[in-house]
Amino acid sequence: MMNNFPPGFVMIIGALLIPFLPHIIRQIYMLVLILTSAYTLTLGFGIHTKITLMDFEFILFQSDPLTLPFAIIFHVAAVLNIMYGAHVKLWNQHMAIMSYSGAAIAAVHAGDLFTLFVWWEATAITSVFLIFAGKTKRSYGAAFRYLIVQIGSGMFLLAGAILLMSETGNAEFRNFDINSLYGQLIFVAFGIKAAFPLLNGWLQDAYPEASEIGTVALSVFTTKLAVFCFAKSFAGTDILILIGVIMTFFPMFFAIIENDLRRVLTYCLNSQLGFMIVAIGIGTELAINGAVAHAIVHILYKGLLFMGMGAVLYRTSTCKASELGGLFKYMPITAICTIIGAVSLSAFPLFSGFVTKTLILSALGKEGQVFAYFMLLFSSAGVLIYSGIRVPFFAFFANESKIKSKEAPLNMIIAMFSASILCILIGILPSYFYNILPYQIHYQPYDFSHIVGQIQLLGFSALAFICLWHFKIYPSEINSTILNSDWIYRKMLPGVCLPLLNLVKNLNQKFYKFLEYLFVTVKNIFANTMIRNKVFDREVGQDTLVVVQLFIVILVLIFMWKIYF
Amino acid sequence: MKYLIDKIGKINTSVLFICIIFLILELIGHRHGETSIEDILFFPAIFGFLSCIFIFGIAISLRSLFMKDEDYYDE
Repeated sequence: MMNNFPPGFVMIIGALLIPFLPHIIRQIYMLVLILTSAYTLTLGFGIHTKITLMDFEFILFQSDPLTLPFAIIFHVAAVLNIMYGAHVKLWNQHMAIMSYSGAAIAAVHAGDLFTLFVWWEATAITSVFLIFAGKTKRSYGAAFRYLIVQIGSGMFLLAGAILLMSETGNAEFRNFDINSLYGQLIFVAFGIKAAFPLLNGWLQDAYPEASEIGTVALSVFTTKLAVFCFAKSFAGTDILILIGVIMTFFPMFFAIIENDLRRVLTYCLNSQLGFMIVAIGIGTELAINGAVAHAIVHILYKGLLFMGMGAVLYRTSTCKASELGGLFKYMPITAICTIIGAVSLSAFPLFSGFVTKTLILSALGKEGQVFAYFMLLFSSAGVLIYSGIRVPFFAFFANESKIKSKEAPLNMIIAMFSASILCILIGILPSYFYNILPYQIHYQPYDFSHIVGQIQLLGFSALAFICLWHFKIYPSEINSTILNSDWIYRKMLPGVCLPLLNLVKNLNQKFYKFLEYLFVTVKNIFANTMIRNKVFDREVGQDTLVVVQLFIVILVLIFMWKIYF
Repeated sequence: MKYLIDKIGKINTSVLFICIIFLILELIGHRHGETSIEDILFFPAIFGFLSCIFIFGIAISLRSLFMKDEDYYDE
């Protein structure tokens, strides 16, 4: 019976019991749920569960070589999230994380678009509670905006699915043609969740406002689910290369001037998503492997960085670069784990980012995509200064310590340590890691050219940062808000639409006043002429009134005759 | 050496040394890139350094355009 449940489903159903369990038992129970869900991954590839409702066959559980790596990393990330959040006594975030992870895992195994739609919306509805858990006025606003955008993306998906169903008779989740209308609708739905350029506002708006454990969970599932969907449905679509390049390029500049370090990481997340999208756009076996591999290691090292910053936020109540600094003295283990995350992100040899970035860059080089190749190389150099150095430097080293704090709680340290070990293991033993990727490849990231080239690239990027800092060109951090694409619906549209709405309202009021005035005037004229035996203030006899009335009636008749004939 | 450490710090000095070592390594071995432009001597080093300066320059000039008060959205 258990085998028939799609992976993740047991986590969603099991999450309903979470509020009724005491704290310690709850933690064990959640780990058991994840293990039970992971057990279903051993069933092998193929369609395992279907149900028929209203003459439609819903494929609830379908697995293939592409779903497996995502399912594995989602389960691993769910375990890390549980460990990281074990210090939180309240049940609400645990329940949200468990059902959110479950929904994302179930979405990966959906075999048709309607099933995908259900889990797609479920990820939005369950994850929004993690943003509410930020418990600030800003987080409430951000949560509502996040929900609207995510539900909106689901609407695009549903519209695409219905069109596909009406055109082809089935809504199988497969490779789609971007030139069809349903393909474009589905593309937009995935694009919103993957934080495409100008559709990315929700990401930087909502994630940094979530609770410290919420951001870690959020950084894992939503965007990677979108990457999985693109890999499944739009592999080899050329436009993705351009979109991916723009995605890697622009967030870098915003990340450098952003003050909130968790927001810096969301810009960085966006930029790294670009790497995956470019690779999916290339669509070769090597490139798809690169995209999937990068998604997996990105979940680990970005999760690790968010964990580090979450620990800082938990202990110091702030994540602003302008207010932090010198925390290495108080939080050395957190600092070291964050540095391992940053080094992995920057793709130093022997760390996880290196074995996946070289895969993507090699795929680009092999396909002759020179422009995209150099843009990604440019971004690889940039990532070091906008995130790799900047985040640990401003949190743990820059300036003297402004805030005194304690080391992170033990459970946080265990989670960060585990993620660090995984980052290093993948970096040291890439061949084992490559085995779980969708296509069997023989790729050797560690050769003389890759190592020397990468260390030169990163070393001199670091040197550039050192020069800027040493010669005091690097400006001090300022408390500020950096405008992003969410400005369009937070400021521009209200700024343009509210005055327009007021104008229409005013015009409407004026029109009603004019009608009222007209009515009163006509009424007065009639009152003066007909009723009180007066024509324009003069006393008249009955016969004169009859003549005047006849005259008016004739005028009206002539007028109507002119109009109608 | 001591002067350098005093002047720019231990970590910065070690970064400088790593950079120099890997420049020398390129002269000893043969490094080749995915594209022919990359085969130029010290290409990754020059590209990395200039990219970072460029990104930094653009980002700082964008400050005046995109940077607003902290409570910009709360007003």
